[in-house]
Amino acid sequence: MPVVDIDTDELRTLTGHEEKTDEEFREDLFGLGLEYEGETDEGDLQFEFAPDRLDRLSVEGVARSLRYQYGDARGVHVPETNDADWVIEVEETVPDGRPYVTGAVVRGLDLDDAALESLIQLQEKLHATMGRDRAKGAIGIHDLTMLKGERPVTAGAGGSDPPAETEPATSAETEPATPAETEPETPAETESEAPAGDDRDPAAEDPIEAPTVTTRDVESASAEDASARTPQKSITYRGIAPEGDRFVPLDHESMDGIGDAGATPADVLADHPTGETYGDLVADYDRYPAIYDDRGLFSFPPVINGQRTEVSTNSRDLFVELTGTDQWTIDKMCVVICYALAARGGQLEDVRVEYADGAHHPEEYGPDLLRPDLSTTEKSVSHHQIESTLGVELEPDSVVDLFERSGLDAAYSLGDETVYDVEVPPYRVDVLHPMDLVDDVGRAYGFNTLEPTLPDIGTVGGRHERSRLEDAVRTTLVGLGFQEALNFNMTAADRNYDRMRLSNPAGDDSVGGTATSADRPLGAVPPAEIPERSRYSEAYTQLRTWALPSLVQMLENNTHRTYPQDIAEVGFVAHEDPAEATNVAESRHVAAVLARTDATYEDAKARLQTLCDSFDAELATPATEHPSFLDGRVAAVEIDGERVGVIGELHPAVLVAHDLELPVAAFEFDLAALAE
Amino acid sequence: MQLPREQVELLEAASATDWRTVADIAAELDAADQSVTRAALELRDRGLLEIDERFRERVAVTAEGEQYRANELPEVRLYRAVAELSDPGEAVEMGRAIGAADLDGPAVDIALSNYPRKGCGEIERGEITADPAYDPDADPETNRLAAAADAEYVSEITTNDEGSETTVEDTLGATDGDTSGPTGGDTAVLDRLASRGLIEIAEERRQRVRLTDEGVDTLMMGVEPAETVDRLTPELLTSGEWEDVEFADYNVEADAPEEHGGKRHVLRAYADRVKDVLVGMGFREMAGPHADADFWINDCLFMPQDHPARTHWDRFAVDVDPAENMPPELVERVESAHRDGVGEDGDGYHSPWSEAFASEVALRGHTTSLSMRYLSGFAGADIEPPKRYFSVEKVYRNDTLDATHLLEFFQIEGWVLADELSVRDLMGTFEEFYRQFGITDIEFKPHYNPYTEPSFELFGEHPETGELIEIGNSGIFREEVTTPLGVDGDVMAWGLALERLAMLATGAEDIRDLHGTLADLQFLRETEVPY
Repeated sequence: MPVVDIDTDELRTLTGHEEKTDEEFREDLFGLGLEYEGETDEGDLQFEFAPDRLDRLSVEGVARSLRYQYGDARGVHVPETNDADWVIEVEETVPDGRPYVTGAVVRGLDLDDAALESLIQLQEKLHATMGRDRAKGAIGIHDLTMLKGERPVTAGAGGSDPPAETEPATSAETEPATPAETEPETPAETESEAPAGDDRDPAAEDPIEAPTVTTRDVESASAEDASARTPQKSITYRGIAPEGDRFVPLDHESMDGIGDAGATPADVLADHPTGETYGDLVADYDRYPAIYDDRGLFSFPPVINGQRTEVSTNSRDLFVELTGTDQWTIDKMCVVICYALAARGGQLEDVRVEYADGAHHPEEYGPDLLRPDLSTTEKSVSHHQIESTLGVELEPDSVVDLFERSGLDAAYSLGDETVYDVEVPPYRVDVLHPMDLVDDVGRAYGFNTLEPTLPDIGTVGGRHERSRLEDAVRTTLVGLGFQEALNFNMTAADRNYDRMRLSNPAGDDSVGGTATSADRPLGAVPPAEIPERSRYSEAYTQLRTWALPSLVQMLENNTHRTYPQDIAEVGFVAHEDPAEATNVAESRHVAAVLARTDATYEDAKARLQTLCDSFDAELATPATEHPSFLDGRVAAVEIDGERVGVIGELHPAVLVAHDLELPVAAFEFDLAALAE
Repeated sequence: MQLPREQVELLEAASATDWRTVADIAAELDAADQSVTRAALELRDRGLLEIDERFRERVAVTAEGEQYRANELPEVRLYRAVAELSDPGEAVEMGRAIGAADLDGPAVDIALSNYPRKGCGEIERGEITADPAYDPDADPETNRLAAAADAEYVSEITTNDEGSETTVEDTLGATDGDTSGPTGGDTAVLDRLASRGLIEIAEERRQRVRLTDEGVDTLMMGVEPAETVDRLTPELLTSGEWEDVEFADYNVEADAPEEHGGKRHVLRAYADRVKDVLVGMGFREMAGPHADADFWINDCLFMPQDHPARTHWDRFAVDVDPAENMPPELVERVESAHRDGVGEDGDGYHSPWSEAFASEVALRGHTTSLSMRYLSGFAGADIEPPKRYFSVEKVYRNDTLDATHLLEFFQIEGWVLADELSVRDLMGTFEEFYRQFGITDIEFKPHYNPYTEPSFELFGEHPETGELIEIGNSGIFREEVTTPLGVDGDVMAWGLALERLAMLATGAEDIRDLHGTLADLQFLRETEVPY
């Protein structure tokens, strides 16, 4: 479950409740479903919560929820956005595996260390949750002043063309002269903006020089009338060859000698710690995702940003971009970030996203998007549903009040049935069904104030037949003097087979899947294996095919305890079997060991005989062979004419392999043989 | 003076000057040790005999212990390997570390289970770290093991008639404050070594007797055996002689020899207790496969296919062909719920969904797969409301193995189906269940599960510490779960780990003592029987 670190001073500021103590916050947050987990080294409080309200992944969102809880805020709040100044152009070269992009601009921020830390935390937590470790969505946040916009293709004809009628996005990029002509700058910079070449100026110099230029750009832009303006600047999302370009990544100090020339994306994957962590996400791509501005490559999603656009407490304006495999998901992640930054006093600004012809645009939204998508959604909830779920009667007006205290807006019409039309803010990613809104009403009402009742229904209880049989057999075994055991169902091949002198039929072609278990020594059936990728350790590689090995291991672990040690278990065993719908055959076995200095075959048989008699089952013990047992002192267990198990004295080699220094008589058979 | 025959014989055998052991006298009299001891105790009570008792714990290093003395403890070897392979605090892939430590067979398990316990470092998700604070050269267990090899006895206690008691700790050379003896002032380490089977501690008891002055006087004045009978025999009964004889008094307060007998496993007994409670509340028991299609384990529960809990490292996949047991119409309805939601205002997930993924076989991470099978009617149950069902069955989670977490544990699962159910019904039902186990004042913390809404975590007071602890998870199944299953009505469900309940009740500190091949026979033999 996600954990959010909260600086309670920040929480006091953001909620406007300077009087609240940490202790009070802890109680209030428990009410919201955030459970106190401990403190960080820096003294932040850590809260764990279920991964539904991902808008609470940072202190800003938690503060917003508290303000609703305290009644300081009511209803839906959607921040204003200014018109788009920037466009993200998506080329058809973008890798098929990561086609989507979204973004937003946030201006006028004044982030202190705590606020910046909170933003980084939010980014990380969103990656870990909705972003599925960056596979589904990855966020890049950039210092806008360090970005130099390319001239968007759409603005070329005076800015009145609708985005759909654009020229192919590639044309502008193949003409190196275009940016220089339209935005005259110093000669040195013009040179540096030539398309990627081996002798281009070191990218690392850009940040030093760039601010004065771009800041002026921004100032002049913001002076214009913001309404109905066509974006003037663009960045490009495209795919490039793994060695296709160079940039200086964040934390490049960890890469040896990348120097001023920077590193290629392939270098980053090979040598940068972050590259090593996230390299798998792009390993299969022919082309790597890359984001360019006029100065060149500045971000390599979903792996790492360039150092040039690194965000610091000096950053006033931010460019947020997200790439991923699902447009809705990255749009929602973007919304959560926008709400958090708006809470910090940032002014949101739209960004256009334009998918070129041939680029894979999201079917449900078309090729031209205006983001962030802060539109609200509406769901209908019936009054009856609310009353029946909470089990209390409510007045419609008080229901509306509860909705508003949950950060929702609701209107209702009185008719045959009262129905609420509920408006849901865009940061709520958890509302899939009207019942999710009923839950909000319940939380606002206070579930813990409800009086428990017992449902007024009558049903007849009872045990499952097999579970009754298991219990009856256990009771009988205990009466015969056995300590009942309860062992793990997972084991390792060496314990299940090798140490019991059984051969492992896995991979043995002659066994295949067709040999019936009756033809083989008990236990020597193909394992239902846990594949290496999902193993906990080499001690648990398969389900046990029989129970006796577990009991012998138990003897092995208890050699320092007093003897006699008579142990029995009625437990689960399984093996691979293509005849089953799940391809795994499951059953319960009855197994017992008698470990004592004078244990013999006869002792085991006496007990087995009594057990069979107790269940009115006919026992026969014809001689047989089994590698785990001593030849001449081993028999098949036949119950009511069916061969269902084995009984005998354990082979000395098995005893020695388990460090046992006394004889052990044992039996094991299928529980089903004792059923009616 | 008349005394029972055994006492007369003992008095005559005992010496006024030398201590004689009970064993010697028993051999001489051809009597059982116990009967001589009993006679000695009675003579002491008459003031005729004094008894001197010595109790010693002999310590010996086992073969396994010797092996570790030669090659170091497996966890120490593992630590050295990890420290060698990594910078401090950095994680190393487990397989590599085990390989570098040259561990195999049971030594791997031993190393892994002791490693975190001793603070060597952490093991998580197949990776292992070495804690720089741990010093492999000052490992207390290694040191104690070495000391135990040099010593013969752990302790010696001598008791004589004056009641004065001499305890000689750390025999063979240890003095006060000296930690070089086998206990090193800390028997906990020694106990741990014993429980690991690296040393064996055997108890040795010796009793000696000597005549008191009064005993000598009594003998001088003459004693003769009373006509008493030790055992009631068939002959006494048939001959009628029993009416004339005097039966010797037993020391009815003396300790009797240990008798273990058979016993239910404490956790199974707890499971039965839980089942009894639920059957009494009108619940019927479910059964079904441990290895099942992900479809029943996750997809029916409206768990998106890219949910983090469904990644391969959080579950145990089974290496067999995909399952074929899903009804096609149900698959279609479940897929539709995932993609488009349920109902007019329902939304689906923005996650991929494929039947192939749903058909993969895994060990169930919860028994809610059984609930899905029953609620869909697939398990053959009639699902007309009202119904109550439960199971107490094993589930499998790929979590870190430690004192409170197991890879396999029992989940208690229950659900109620009715035409209409409210949150209050849920609260009342589950409060009643916990009340049966002495847990009252349940708090319901609003929670989130992908498959229930509303959802609640249940918190209750620990019956002994009073601490507020999580004791379950509950909710009302979403329509995205029930509608595809074809359920007409509301279903509320809840679950918790049986081990959690049992640990609260038995006071077991390490869950592994309750469950699995590490189970300590002594614990199982001695633990209190639940009812």
